[in-house]
Amino acid sequence: MKSRLFAAVAASALVISLAACSSATSAQAPAVSPATSGEVSWWGWTPDTPVAQKYIAAFNKEFPNIKVTYKNYENVDYRNAITPALDSGTGPDIYDISPAGGSPETWGSYALDPSSFAQTTLGSDWQNKFGSGYVKELTNSDGKVTALPLGGMTAGFLWYNANIFTAAGATLPTDYTSWVTACQKIKAIGKTCLAMGAGGQDTFPTELVHSIANSVDPAWFLNAATGKAKWNDPQGIEVLNIIKKMSDDGIIPKNVLDNGQYPLANEEFMKGDAAMVQMGYWYAQYSGAESAKTAMTSAGVTNPQPFVQMPLMFPDVAGKGNGSAVFGEADYGLAINKASKNVGAAETFVGWMTMSKNGQQNVANAIDLIPALNGVEPDWNSVKLVDQAQQQPAIAKLLSSSSATTQTRQWQTTDTTLKAIVVAVQQVLDPTIKKSVTDIAKQMQDSSEASTVGK
Amino acid sequence: MTDVAVKTRLRGGRKVHPQPGGLRWVAPGFVLSVGLIYYCIFYSGFLSFFSWRGGASKMTFLGLDNYTKAFASSVFWSSIAHTLIFYVVVFAVQVVGGVFFAAAMHSKILFATLYKVIIFVPVVIAPAIMAPAHIQVWSSDGTVNALLSDLGMGWLAQGWIGQSSTSLLVVTMAQCWGAVGFGFLLYFASMGQIDYEILEAARIDGAGNLRILWSIILPNVKATTISLAILNFITALKLFDNPWLLTQGGPAHSSEFLGTMIYSEVSGQSRNLGYASALSMILLVIAIAVSVVMNTRGTERPTRKRRRGRTIADKETQDV
Repeated sequence: MKSRLFAAVAASALVISLAACSSATSAQAPAVSPATSGEVSWWGWTPDTPVAQKYIAAFNKEFPNIKVTYKNYENVDYRNAITPALDSGTGPDIYDISPAGGSPETWGSYALDPSSFAQTTLGSDWQNKFGSGYVKELTNSDGKVTALPLGGMTAGFLWYNANIFTAAGATLPTDYTSWVTACQKIKAIGKTCLAMGAGGQDTFPTELVHSIANSVDPAWFLNAATGKAKWNDPQGIEVLNIIKKMSDDGIIPKNVLDNGQYPLANEEFMKGDAAMVQMGYWYAQYSGAESAKTAMTSAGVTNPQPFVQMPLMFPDVAGKGNGSAVFGEADYGLAINKASKNVGAAETFVGWMTMSKNGQQNVANAIDLIPALNGVEPDWNSVKLVDQAQQQPAIAKLLSSSSATTQTRQWQTTDTTLKAIVVAVQQVLDPTIKKSVTDIAKQMQDSSEASTVGK
Repeated sequence: MTDVAVKTRLRGGRKVHPQPGGLRWVAPGFVLSVGLIYYCIFYSGFLSFFSWRGGASKMTFLGLDNYTKAFASSVFWSSIAHTLIFYVVVFAVQVVGGVFFAAAMHSKILFATLYKVIIFVPVVIAPAIMAPAHIQVWSSDGTVNALLSDLGMGWLAQGWIGQSSTSLLVVTMAQCWGAVGFGFLLYFASMGQIDYEILEAARIDGAGNLRILWSIILPNVKATTISLAILNFITALKLFDNPWLLTQGGPAHSSEFLGTMIYSEVSGQSRNLGYASALSMILLVIAIAVSVVMNTRGTERPTRKRRRGRTIADKETQDV
C-alpha cells in the first residue's frame, strides 16, 4: 500500500513537472503537453528485449494507458536502420543514443533537446543529478543535449570463477607475478586461465590496452587518444611488450585470435572452462542465479549449475604501484524523436525511465547498468544472487568504484583509433608476424586519429 | 511491307513516326534499373567526393581525397592482392574439381545421383549456415588440428584462423568447398552437349582418357570455363560473406577484401560513407574493366556449323 502511494505521488510529480516543462521554449522542449495515455515506439540495440519488457511492465504499473513497443536491433543493424528511419520521418518516438563514436553528432539532430524538461523535473543543477559527465557525453558539438542518460557502464576489470580458484588452490592475482602463478595452478587442473578473444574487428582488445596502460601510466591512454601523447611513446611500447609477455607466459591463451571476445571468451567463461575473463559492469547481471543459468544455457551448457562469479580489479601488471583504474561513461541515453507524433507520451516514458527513482531502481536492480541518477542503488532484497554473502558486497564495492571513475571508456577515442589499437594487439599476439613491437606501435600511431571530443 | 509502314503512308502524306509500342513493356524494367540501380551508382559516385556520416550529419566536400586515401592505404592494396590470390586459387580448384567430377559423373559409376547431390549440396547452403562449422574445423582446437595430431603430424597444428599467414587460406578453402559444386554443375551440363561421335572417333584413333579430356573435352567446354572465370572474378571482387563470417578480415587485415573494407566503413560507429563510396566506385571500375576484357578476349570466333550428331547426353539417355 505504501509503495503504491509512493508510486502515485511520484507519478503525479512527474506528470506535473512534465506539464510545467511544456511551456518552455520550443528550441529545447516540445510544445506538447506530457501525456498519461498514448502509444510510443522505442528502438535500441540495448537493452535486450526481456530486460526492456521488464522496464515497460514496471512503467505500465504507474502509467497503464501508455503502450510502449520496444524493437531491439543488433548493434550494426541498429545503425543501418535508424538513419533512414529518422531521415524519412518514420522513425521511432524514442531511440537509443550512445556517447561513443560521435553518435550524438550523427543522430542528435533528430532529437528534441530535453534540457528544460530535465531542469523542470530535477532542478537547475539537473546535470549534476546524473552520473559524472553523463550529460556532457550525450551532448553534441553544438551544445545540444541529445538524450537523457539511462545508465552508465564501466570496464577495466576482470570477472573470476570462484569455484575454479578454489579447486585450483590459486590466489587472486594482484600483480604480474601472482597472475602467472595463478595461471600455472589453474592450468594444472585443466582449465583456461584467462578467456580472451581478440580476433576480427571487435574492439574489446582496446579495453585490455587501456587497463594495462593505466598500470603503466594512468594518464597516458586518454592523452594518446586525444592527441596529447603518441601511441608509440615509451608507455605505448611498454603496454604492447606487456601484452606480448602475457602471451608468452601463458596468461593470454594461444587461441586468442580465433574469434572475438563474443562468442569465444564469453562462452568459455560461461561454460566454466575458464577462470577469468575481462568484461565490464554489464557482466554483473550473470551473478544473478537466473541470469547465470540463461547465459550458461546460451553458451551451450545443457544442465547449468551457476557458479560464483566475482569482480576482480585488473592486476597491476606494470608493477609501478599505479594499480589499474576502471574507466567508464554513460552507456546510452534515450532520445525523443522531434518528428514524433506522440511526444507527450514519449516524454512521460523517458522522464520516468531516466529521472524517476522508480524507473532508475529498475535499472539498478537489473545489475547490468550503473543507474544514471545519483543515489540510486540496487535493492539487494530483490536481487537474487548465486551466493548473496560473497557476491553482494563485491558488486556493491564495484558499483561504488565505478561511480567514482574519472576516465572515459570510448567517448574520447575515435573509431579509427580503436581499430588501430585492435590491429596492433593482433599483430603482437600473432606468432606469424615478425614485426618489432616498436614498429607495431609506430603503425598504431600512424593509423590513429586523435579525438577532439571533450576538449 | 510492314503494317507500320502502311499506316505511315495512309496519313495524308504527313510523316508519322511509328508508335513506340514496346516502351510500355520496357518501362517497368527501365525505371527499376535506371531509377534504382543506376541512381544508386551515381549517388555513390557523388558521395565519394564527400565526408559524410549519413542522415542529417554535415557533408564536407573533399574532392579526390577519399580516392587518394584509398590508393595510399596499405590495407586497400593488400585487399586487392587477397582478391587476386583468392580468385586464382578458387578458379583453379573449381575448374579442376568441376571437370573431374563432371567427367566422372558422365562415366558409368554406381550411386551417381547420390554423388551429384553430395557435390552440389554445398552450393545451396548459405555461407552463414556453414560459417560456424568452418570455424570449428579451422580453430586451434578444431577438426583439422585434431586430424593432424591423429596422423602423427601434430607439429603442423596451428591456429589457422587466428594467424595472418593462414587466415586467407581458411577463407579460400571455405569458398572452394562451395565453388567445386557450382563448377561441376556447369561442366556437367556443358559436357552433355559434346558430340559423342567426336569422342568415339578419338578413341578409334587411339586417344586415352587424359588425351580426350585435354584435346576434346576441355576445348569444347571453353565457353563454360570463360563464364566461370568472369563469375569468379566478380565474386572475388565483391566477396564479403565468407571472410566476414569467418575472420572479419583479420587478424590485422590479413584476410581483408574490398567488400569487408566497405562494410567495415559503413557499419562502424564512425560511418565513413564517403570513403566507403569511393571504395565502391573503385570496385565498380575494376569489375567493369575486367568483365569487358574477359568478354572481349574470351569471345569465340564464329565457328563452322557443327555437324549434327549424338551428344554425350544423348548417348547416356540411349544407354539407360
